[in-house]
Amino acid sequence: MATQAHCLSYAGCNFLRQRLVLSTLSGRPVKIRKIRARDDNPGLRDFEASFIRLLDKITNGSRIEINQTGTTLYYQPGLLYGGSVEHDCNVLRSIGYYLESLLCLAPFMKHPLRIVLRGVTHDQVDPSVDVLKATALPLLKQFGIDGESFELKVVRRGMPPGGGGEVLFSCPVRKVLRPVQLTDPGKIRRIRGTAYSVRVSPQMANRVVDSARSILNKFIPDIYIYTDHMKGVNSGKSPGFGLSLVAETTNGTFLSAELASNPQGQGAAVLPEDLGRNCAKLLLEEIYRGGCVDSTNQSLALLLMTLGQQDVSKVLLGPLSPYTIEFLRHLKSFFQIMFKIETKPCGEELKGGDKVLMTCVGIGFSNLSKTLK
Amino acid sequence: METKDQKKHRKKNSGPKAEKKKKRHLQDLQLGDEEDARKRNPKAFAVQSAVRMARSFHRTQDLKTKKHHIPVVDRTPLEPPPIVVVVMGPPKVGKSTLIQCLIRNFTRQKLTEIRGPVTIVSGKKRRLTIIECGCDINMMIDLAKVADLVLMLIDASFGFEMETFEFLNICQVHGFPKIMGVLTHLDSFKYNKQLKKTKKRLKHRFWTEVYPGAKLFYLSGMVHGEYQNQEIHNLGRFITVMKFRPLTWQTSHPYILADRMEDLTNPEDIRTNIKCDRKVSLYGYLRGAHLKNKSQIHMPGVGDFAVSDVSFLPDPCALPEQQKKRCLNEKEKLVYAPLSGVGGVLYDKDAVYVDLGGSHGFQDEVRPTHELVQSLISTHSTIDAKMASSRVTLFSDSKPLGSEDIDNQGQWMPKEEKQMDLKTGRVRRKAIFGDEEDESGDSDEEDDEEMSEGDRLVESSSDDETEEEADAEMTDRCMTGKGVKRQRLEEMEEDLEVDLPAFADSDDDLERSSGEEGEAEEADESSEEEDSPAGGRSLSESQVGDSSKAGLLQTKGLSNSLNLEKATLTTSDSGHCTAEEAFASEDETEESSSLSTEEEGSENEEVIRKKFPKSSPVAGGQRLGSENFIDETSDVEDLLKEEEDYKEENSYSTETSGALKWKEDLSRKAAEAFLRQQQATPNLRKLVYGTVTEDNEEEDGDTREELGGLFRVSQPSRECKHKLDSLDCSRFHVEAPHDWDLEEELYGDFEDLETGDVHKGKPGADTQIEDAEEVKEEIDPSAEESAKKKHLDKKRKLKEMFDAEYDEGESTYFDDLKGEMHKQAQLNRAEFEDQDDEARVQYEGFRPGMYVRIEIENVPCEFVLNFDPHYPIILGGLGNSEGNVGYVQMRLKKHRWYKKILKSRDPIIFSVGWRRFQTIPLYYIEDHNGRQRLLKYTPQHMHCGATFWGPITPQGTGFLAVQSVSGIMPDFRIAATGVVLDLDKSIKIVKKLKLTGFPYKIFKNTSFIKGMFNSALEVAKFEGAVIRTVSGIRGQIKKALRAPEGAFRASFEDKLLMSDIVFMRTWYPVSIPAFYNPVTSLLKPVGEKDTWSGMRTTGQLRLAHGVKLKPNKDSLYKPIVRQKKHFNSVHIPKALQKALPFKNKPKTQAKAGKTPKDRLRPAVIREPHERKILALLDALSTVHSQKMKKAKEQRHLHNKEHFKVKQKEEEEKLKRQKDLRKKLFRIQGQKERRNQKASLKGPEEPSK
Repeated sequence: MATQAHCLSYAGCNFLRQRLVLSTLSGRPVKIRKIRARDDNPGLRDFEASFIRLLDKITNGSRIEINQTGTTLYYQPGLLYGGSVEHDCNVLRSIGYYLESLLCLAPFMKHPLRIVLRGVTHDQVDPSVDVLKATALPLLKQFGIDGESFELKVVRRGMPPGGGGEVLFSCPVRKVLRPVQLTDPGKIRRIRGTAYSVRVSPQMANRVVDSARSILNKFIPDIYIYTDHMKGVNSGKSPGFGLSLVAETTNGTFLSAELASNPQGQGAAVLPEDLGRNCAKLLLEEIYRGGCVDSTNQSLALLLMTLGQQDVSKVLLGPLSPYTIEFLRHLKSFFQIMFKIETKPCGEELKGGDKVLMTCVGIGFSNLSKTLK
Repeated sequence: METKDQKKHRKKNSGPKAEKKKKRHLQDLQLGDEEDARKRNPKAFAVQSAVRMARSFHRTQDLKTKKHHIPVVDRTPLEPPPIVVVVMGPPKVGKSTLIQCLIRNFTRQKLTEIRGPVTIVSGKKRRLTIIECGCDINMMIDLAKVADLVLMLIDASFGFEMETFEFLNICQVHGFPKIMGVLTHLDSFKYNKQLKKTKKRLKHRFWTEVYPGAKLFYLSGMVHGEYQNQEIHNLGRFITVMKFRPLTWQTSHPYILADRMEDLTNPEDIRTNIKCDRKVSLYGYLRGAHLKNKSQIHMPGVGDFAVSDVSFLPDPCALPEQQKKRCLNEKEKLVYAPLSGVGGVLYDKDAVYVDLGGSHGFQDEVRPTHELVQSLISTHSTIDAKMASSRVTLFSDSKPLGSEDIDNQGQWMPKEEKQMDLKTGRVRRKAIFGDEEDESGDSDEEDDEEMSEGDRLVESSSDDETEEEADAEMTDRCMTGKGVKRQRLEEMEEDLEVDLPAFADSDDDLERSSGEEGEAEEADESSEEEDSPAGGRSLSESQVGDSSKAGLLQTKGLSNSLNLEKATLTTSDSGHCTAEEAFASEDETEESSSLSTEEEGSENEEVIRKKFPKSSPVAGGQRLGSENFIDETSDVEDLLKEEEDYKEENSYSTETSGALKWKEDLSRKAAEAFLRQQQATPNLRKLVYGTVTEDNEEEDGDTREELGGLFRVSQPSRECKHKLDSLDCSRFHVEAPHDWDLEEELYGDFEDLETGDVHKGKPGADTQIEDAEEVKEEIDPSAEESAKKKHLDKKRKLKEMFDAEYDEGESTYFDDLKGEMHKQAQLNRAEFEDQDDEARVQYEGFRPGMYVRIEIENVPCEFVLNFDPHYPIILGGLGNSEGNVGYVQMRLKKHRWYKKILKSRDPIIFSVGWRRFQTIPLYYIEDHNGRQRLLKYTPQHMHCGATFWGPITPQGTGFLAVQSVSGIMPDFRIAATGVVLDLDKSIKIVKKLKLTGFPYKIFKNTSFIKGMFNSALEVAKFEGAVIRTVSGIRGQIKKALRAPEGAFRASFEDKLLMSDIVFMRTWYPVSIPAFYNPVTSLLKPVGEKDTWSGMRTTGQLRLAHGVKLKPNKDSLYKPIVRQKKHFNSVHIPKALQKALPFKNKPKTQAKAGKTPKDRLRPAVIREPHERKILALLDALSTVHSQKMKKAKEQRHLHNKEHFKVKQKEEEEKLKRQKDLRKKLFRIQGQKERRNQKASLKGPEEPSK
């Protein structure tokens, strides 16, 4: 077989997840060199190692080779296996880091995935579990991934640096995906949100809610922000609080924004009022950017479009994030697929910032892991 | 006499005429037909039983739904590829004759020798590719996979042959294309009745194999070695109007039935090493799905390859242009078969193909075309060898062709020209030519690349004035449009030069201000950098440096525009290089050369533009105008431009605190928005997919270039390295947020759903700022109205739903699904319709129906050396990860016609997907609990599972297995068929394993057992496992013992005996040898292509080497010798004995022991006298007893006689008594009767 010929090679640890996920889905091995080669502390970090371990858990027959210093990684993907898995995520990155990739892979397993992830549920870097639950899951439903067992449950909340959160994610398996035409985002219908606080005064959450509402109330009256104060063992190991907001449109698009307090012992203490206000503004910014898909889930939507049947899929996005742009390039190198990118300037029909209409023909992907009965 | 000859009229008793008459008769009688019967007798048709009614309804519905197929999206292209017609049959059945006749029928041309596929235009909307299929099973398998229609030729004089059935089975497995039978050799029947019978028999047999009612065609006889025209014509009509159902495998994979092959290997390489791997180009119509460049393909019979390049060519056998005629023009009846030496003139990258000029070329006169063609073919090959000077030699050669060539030109040349337009000039082609030569010739690639890039740059900008850069060979490429563009550019530059002093400062300001704040944003846009806070510092440093460099450049640009151009030229070049280094190399390679030229050109422009800030809308408009003129270069925008836009935007938004400045730029912003609207589309596309360059990198390169002059110093840029290792995060951070406290109503994004009010965005910038309270006020008065409206809306919706439910009750789930599919199909068609092919190919891949040329490298030399055009060359596209290997699980059934059963671990050849390969399967059967138990042999009439290690193929794909593909076997060759079920990287097949042990110490229910395991660790693994003795006593493993290694304690339900054997039943996983060997039949020499043989089975090897099997001694059968079993007597405890009743007590009488001596009687010894006395007494007593005996016997006899006499007397006496009694009773009876009579008569007598 021409395995060596179609091995892809990259340098640097950036976009590691994309590369490994696409490699798994396309079956093409990937080699990543020069991972922090010039760094004082070269090689893979613990959270990346944890991610690779997670991939190993959910696949069967993967071959992973890492050199002595950890600066070179060779990954030959196996078949996605799924089943019941537990994974302790590294606390350097939040569960969102791992969950984003799992969302891409979960529909294509052999057995439905049911995974318990432990670690940090909310931090300032990655999309939190709440946001993914509110935005990514409805997005997957648009592609025909749905069912009773499709859920994401926050069992415990854990803030950095201690972690101690727990999340249950289960996803059914699909053989093929539906093509989508998401071109009309619609108007904002309502705003929901969750203000959480762990190991701090429960009043914090209420203060966050009040300040966020003070901004948002000017725009829309239908706002409800839940306060979620977790106690005891459910509250993780470190104190903190935060807010995630989700705006739902008339056409079922979910746009989100979130903020979390600084981790204990890092940076200045954040006032809950500031946090709430800033988060509300972030949501407004996200709404301004608009599109049918949240800015964090752009790449997920594009991936699922790529993996559709050989039909035309369309999706309207806000400005492309750098992560998405790199993802598009990776899609091209892994799947030989190019998107038709049309810029839709703001005008009569489209409000807010410039939009991008992405069109592609699916590659006719079918789930090779699923057993035929 | 004559009257006698006339036949009497016979009334028709059956048939339509008779029925009609009967009906009329009935009508005359007022009885009516069936319809009337319902009216006449409604009771007979009334509902008798609701249950039966329901059942019958259910059944009709079942039958109706059975007819439904799952609707699929119709993905057939508007101009479909030719239909593949496979003409199949055993040898000497008339395949070639039929093909010749068909071609002659459609094209009025006669092909003497047919090799490979022949493509013809058969109608206004249909083309056919006809190919012959011999009896080689390799060919049969390959062609069954690509066939749309199979013409199955059957020799009627002989009947069906094994090949026919084999091919039918192959077809069934691989999707079942349309099959039409053709009976030939019908003229060999002498009697009509026999012919009829044979026809009928064959037809019914054919129907059972294909489907009842399958079309079977009869070709009655030959006329001058050809079939009858009318029959061929009819057959042609049938083929032309036939409809096809899409086959799953074919529609989901791209494939090409190659009709032409060229060897592109460097002749020098071949000269040095004739066995070197070749580079070939293959041509053919693309069928099935879309083909992507660089994808994996499989060539059945050769192996797996990666496509190194794909390009589409003008259709060599095009359908006629749309016209309103019923039939084809003579000129449109094209035939294309390069392998047989028929076709037009075709130019492409590396070869020129000249041949018979289609049908019309033949018509005007009978020329020695054949020689001409031959000569042309030979010239073609020489041209091919030379390659570089192809065009010149062609035209010099083709001159003697004369009128025919002119015709050809009329046919082919315009298309060729069209192609040039599409591809942005044919120089690109030539450039690749150079590249190819360079690659093969020189090892120094970089220099070449730079050279070619430089050339291209010059090309795209089409600088007439820059003489030092303009190459002589390229100057002819200058087009008028480009000239115009050049002018415009100059104008623009002048304009900008004028504008520069006014805006240069502001631009610098912008850059500086954004250097700190907007840099991350910029990084976002360029996507080269990552927005991590850690990287910010170094970034800003570089930014400042860059901007200063830019300033330097600008001054230079002012002083000398030519210099500037030179600078930009080099800039883009170096930028390109750095990008190459920064990015994975495949980006670069994937880039088609045309694209790169475009980009270079546009980069050029962009850099120029960046120097002169585009502030005035006038300048922008002008640029737009110029861009409209410029065809390619203007439509591709650079990222720099957009970046700048964003930068500006950011600077505005960040500077909103100084609101005045923000308001100043509003008009300018509007202009920019307009510009962006025009340009952003290609801009963004280029940003994502183009060879991405960054402005700062470029500027770095600039300065370096300026300083170094001739030298290009490739320093790894710091940004790049930084980016490589930056934070991997999907969040899109907001860098410059809008001030939402002020302008919350700016964009009017919201619609209040409760009230139903839509707040449109205010178009004017002045009215944007509004207070939120105002909005609320606005809402309140309209609330009631909107509530009313909402209510009405709701009502209307309900009504609609009601209507939909009751009026259009027809729409079922099936209809909805169909509608959805139809909608999707329309969308698919419409989406890329308006784009030109070049762009379309990039988005959706090469679509089916295109005539494509595929380049493949590293093809084994045998493919070229042993090329046989009779064998089909198929390029089957592979999906993602279909090029990988793993374990494939299948459901398999031995074919009922195959004589033997199959053995596990015997190599066998599978045909799955596109592939044919030899592998070692294991057969298994699934137990009720899901365990997969290994089978030594396949069951005879049952499905079983099979697993092999081989290429991954999607689930649901059919497959077939043959034991060997070489030679011809008398028996049926297809050994098994089935379907792929599952793919995995590990297997779970197990076989039975029994571990035995022996007790060495037995307690009550506990025993110590040894000999089952070798170590305590092994025992630990099996703790708690169930064990059993041969006699059926069950038990469990408890714990390992220390003393003998591997012994353990076990408990049983009963006490064991020392003679018991303890065993444990376990399952042992088996492994499959990783053996995957593609059948490379196409690499065999010509004439030996059907002799491929792979690994042999052990049975075959043993037979070949004469090795006899040495059986295991333990497995041999021996006579069974049973030892006598001795049972010990039952011991009954004393206590129990006592308690037993006497009857059950053991009767153990003591044996008569020896009598003691004192009790023994002494022997008596008699005197002789005494002895005499005794003897006498004995004799006397004997005499006496004898006497007595005699007397007794006599007495006995006497008694007997006496008894007899007595008995007689007795009998007589009894008789006498009986008679006496009889007499007495009679008298008594008479007396009684008399009395009775008397008593009855008594009263009567007196009355008388």
